[in-house]
Amino acid sequence: MANQKTVLAVTDDVVLPVSSVLTIMAQLGNERFDPLIVTQASTINQFPLDSSSVDAVLAISKTSDFPSDKICGEFSRILKPGGTVFVCKNLEGQVEDMQQTIQRRVTLAGFLEPQCLDLKSIKLSTFSLSFGIKAKKPSWKIGSSFALKKPAKVLLKVNLDDDLDLIDEDSLLTEEDLKKPQLPVASGCATTKKACKNCVCGRAEIEEKAVKLGLTEDQIENPQSSCGSCGLGDAFRCGTCPYKGLPAFKLGEKVTLSRNFLEADI
Amino acid sequence: MTMGEKPKKKLLVLYASQTGNALDAAERIGREAERRGCPASIVSTDEFDASYLPHEEAVVFVVSTTGQGDSPDSFKAFWKFLLQKKLEKDWLQGVRFAVFGLGDSGYQKYNFVAKKLDKRLSGLGATTIIEKGLGDDQHPSGYEGTLDPWMLSLWSTLYQINPKYFPKGPDVKISQDDLIDQPKYRILYHKQDKLESTLLTDSDIIQRARGMSPGKLYKDKSKPDCFLKMTRNEVLTKAGSTKDVRHFEFQSVSSTIEYEVGDVVELLPSQNPSAIDAFIERCDLDPESFIIVGPRETENSGVNEEMVTQLPIKLKTFVELTMDVTSASPRRYFFEVMSFYATAEHEKERLQYFASTEGREDLYNYNQKESRSILEVLEDFPSVQIPFEWLVQLVPPLKPRAFSISSSPLAHPDQVHLTVSIVSWITPYKRTRKGLCSSWLASLTPEEEVHIPVWFHKGSLPAPSQSLPLILVGPGTGCAPFRGFIAERSVQAQSSPVAPVMFFFGCRNKDTDFLYRDFWESHTREGGMLSEEMGGGFYTAFSRDQPKKVYVQHKIREMSKKVWDLLCGGAAVYVAGSSTKMPSDIMSALEEIVSEETGRSKEDASQCLKGLEKKGRYNVEAWS
Repeated sequence: MANQKTVLAVTDDVVLPVSSVLTIMAQLGNERFDPLIVTQASTINQFPLDSSSVDAVLAISKTSDFPSDKICGEFSRILKPGGTVFVCKNLEGQVEDMQQTIQRRVTLAGFLEPQCLDLKSIKLSTFSLSFGIKAKKPSWKIGSSFALKKPAKVLLKVNLDDDLDLIDEDSLLTEEDLKKPQLPVASGCATTKKACKNCVCGRAEIEEKAVKLGLTEDQIENPQSSCGSCGLGDAFRCGTCPYKGLPAFKLGEKVTLSRNFLEADI
Repeated sequence: MTMGEKPKKKLLVLYASQTGNALDAAERIGREAERRGCPASIVSTDEFDASYLPHEEAVVFVVSTTGQGDSPDSFKAFWKFLLQKKLEKDWLQGVRFAVFGLGDSGYQKYNFVAKKLDKRLSGLGATTIIEKGLGDDQHPSGYEGTLDPWMLSLWSTLYQINPKYFPKGPDVKISQDDLIDQPKYRILYHKQDKLESTLLTDSDIIQRARGMSPGKLYKDKSKPDCFLKMTRNEVLTKAGSTKDVRHFEFQSVSSTIEYEVGDVVELLPSQNPSAIDAFIERCDLDPESFIIVGPRETENSGVNEEMVTQLPIKLKTFVELTMDVTSASPRRYFFEVMSFYATAEHEKERLQYFASTEGREDLYNYNQKESRSILEVLEDFPSVQIPFEWLVQLVPPLKPRAFSISSSPLAHPDQVHLTVSIVSWITPYKRTRKGLCSSWLASLTPEEEVHIPVWFHKGSLPAPSQSLPLILVGPGTGCAPFRGFIAERSVQAQSSPVAPVMFFFGCRNKDTDFLYRDFWESHTREGGMLSEEMGGGFYTAFSRDQPKKVYVQHKIREMSKKVWDLLCGGAAVYVAGSSTKMPSDIMSALEEIVSEETGRSKEDASQCLKGLEKKGRYNVEAWS
C-alpha cells in the first residue's frame, strides 16, 4: 500500500516481539506500518538497508551503551530526510544523565530537535520502558540549496534546561564580573616574557631580527666590572648590566657563549 | 585525648589544577600554614568527596581558570555536585572558607571558576574568612604577586577568629639558617646484585619510572598507550615564512593505533643526553645506581609498604624520563631550598633575596621571563649541593606535550599525522630559546627509528558522524584536526551520502604559510568534500597579503547566509587554533549572523549559541 511506512526496530537484546513493537509505535503516534526487526544489533557495522529508505527507526535497549555513536550514524544514513528516530530505554536510577547522553549522541549524529518522552505508561508483555528520546533527521538533500523558509524559532528554541537539577552557573556572576577585566598597570608588552603568540604589534619580528650581542669588541675581549657582579652571571647582574644574557666570566678573560642546550640557531 | 582538650585546629586546602600551578600555590599555602603551627592537608578536588564538605571547619580553595573560562578537568565532578538545586541554603553552615583563583586578565572570562565558586559557597551558607584572591598571569610577578599579601591577610584573620589555629602566632619568623621543612620523598638505593636479570621492555621502564615520579597529574597513565616511530618529516612552510611548521607521519611499533578524528595525542619528548649527563655530574649523583622513589613517612602516613615491594630503576633513566632539566623553570621554593644548601656567602644571600617578597620581581625577571632551566640555575650557583630527595621533589616533572591529530583512521590506516609549529623565541635578555618537544621532533629522521612513547585521549572536538553538516574554522595549525575530518568524510562518502562542510582557513601569506594547500584545493574540485556541488565551501583569509588585515571571522561574515542555512540544517561548529582571541572573535561573528538573520537582539543570539555549546554543537580546541 502506498501509505504504509517502513519502520526498523532494533535492539541489542536477543528477542523483540513484534507485538511489542506494534504497541510502542502505536503509543508514539504511528499506525499502519511495516516493521523490520533486527536483534543483537550491538555489533552491527552496517544495516543491510539502502540509504534514505526507512521512515522511522525504533531502538530499544536496557543497556547504556546501545545505540553507540556509530549505530546512531547508521540510523541517520538509512532514514529518509525528515524521518524520525526513537531511542527507548528501560533503565533504573540515573535517568537524567542517560537522557542527556543519548540526546548528545543523537545530536552529534546529525539529528535535530531531540525531545524526551516518558514511556512508563506503555504496557508491554515481556519488558517495560522508562523513557525515550525522539529526534528528527534534517530534510536537506545533497546538492540542493536549503529551504530558506525554515522558521528561525527552531534554532532559538534551544533548551537550556538540559541539566534539569543543576542551577545555572552563569547566574553566579555579577555584571561586574562579566565586564572585560582591567589589565594590571601596564608597563607595555616589554615586561612580558616574549611577544604574544598572535603578535600584531610587530614585536615578534623585531625579536627575531634582534642583534645577539650588543657589546663593543673591547667589552667582549676584556670585560671589566665596576660593581664586581657582572662576571658572576645573570643571577647577580643588575637591570642595566650590559652583560645581561651572557654567561659568567672572569674579569679580563674573553667572554664566550655558553653551551645552552635549548638555544636556537639564528 | 585528655578531658577538656580539643583536637588541634587544622586547615584543608582543596585545589583544582590543570597544569600544576594551582597545585604549587596550594602547596605553598599548606607550607605556610604548617610553619605557623597549623597542620594542613592538601587534596585535589577530584580526590575529595564533596558530600563531606559540611564537616570541615576551615577550607581554602585554590582553583585555576583556563583561557576559555573552563575549570580544570579535576574540578568538573566536584563542581557539578555543588551546583545541585537540591542542596539547601544552609548546607555549609558553620564552614569557613577562602577562595584563591589563578587566571589571566588577558581573557574575557577572567578567573570565572574562582568567582563562581566563591559565590556558590556563600549561597550554600558557608562563611568567607576573607574576600577571594585573584591571581593574575598578567601581573609583573604572576599570581604570586597577589598570593603573598592575600595569605598574610588570611593568617591574621584566621588568628583573630580563633587563636588556636596558630599556637605560635600568625607571624612566623623563619630562621635563615635552618630549613624547617622536610623533603616529601625518600630514595632507597639498591645494590646491583639484587636485580632481576630479565630485560625490561621500554614500556615497562617508562611505566616504572613515571609511576614513581611525584609529577603525577596523569594518574593512571604511567604506561604509554603505544610507541610510534616517525616515517615522515616534511616542512610545510615555504622560504620567507616567519614560522617553521612541519608535517610529521608516524607508525606504531607496538600495539595497534586506536583513535578517532579530533583526538589528541601526547608525546613524551626525549631530553638532550649531554644535558642529562651535565645535570647528573653537577649534582654529584651516580647515574648507574638503582633507586626506588617513594613518599617519606610522616606521622599521618606511617610506613609505606608499597615502597618495599616496588622494583628499582636506574637513576639516570629516572632523571631522563621524569625530571625536566633543560626546559621548565623551577618555582620560587626551589630557590629557597637552594639557599640552605649554598656554601658561598654571596650565593646564599642572593638566593635568600630571590626567595623573599622583596626579591620576587627580580626573581621573575631572572627566572620565569628568561625561561631559565634547572641546569642553568644550578650552574649559576655552583656552590649549591642539593640532596637528591629535594631534587626529586622540586625539579619540574617532564611533561608530555599534546597535539591535535591531523590524520583519519579511515583514510590513513595505522598512521598518526601531526602538524607542528616549531617553537622558538627570544627572551628579554636576548637569549634564544626553543621548545623542547617541537625542536626534538623537528630534529628526528625516519632513519633513526626512534621509539616515541605516546598516549591518546579525547580532546574538545568530538568526532562528527558523516551526516552532520559542519562549519569548521581552523586558521594556522588549527587546520590540523580538520584535515582528519575531511579525509575521513571523503572515505565515508564512497559508501553513503555525507553532509556538507564549510571550512574557513586563515594564515599570514598565501605564498609562504598556506598549510596543506593542495589537499584543501583538491577537495574544492568536483566531488570533493569542500566543493559547491556537495553543498560546502572552502574560504581563505590571508591576513598580510593586502594592506588591510583580513581574518577568518571576516570571511565568516561574508558567507553569513550560507552559514545560517547550515546552522538551521543542524550543523555543528568546530573551532581550532592557537590564538587567545580567535575563538571569541569567531563567536562574535556568529552572534552577529544569528542576530541579523533572526532579527533578534545580540543577547538572544548569544544565548542561542550558548545553547548550541551545551548541546555539543559548538566545540572549541584552543591551545597556547
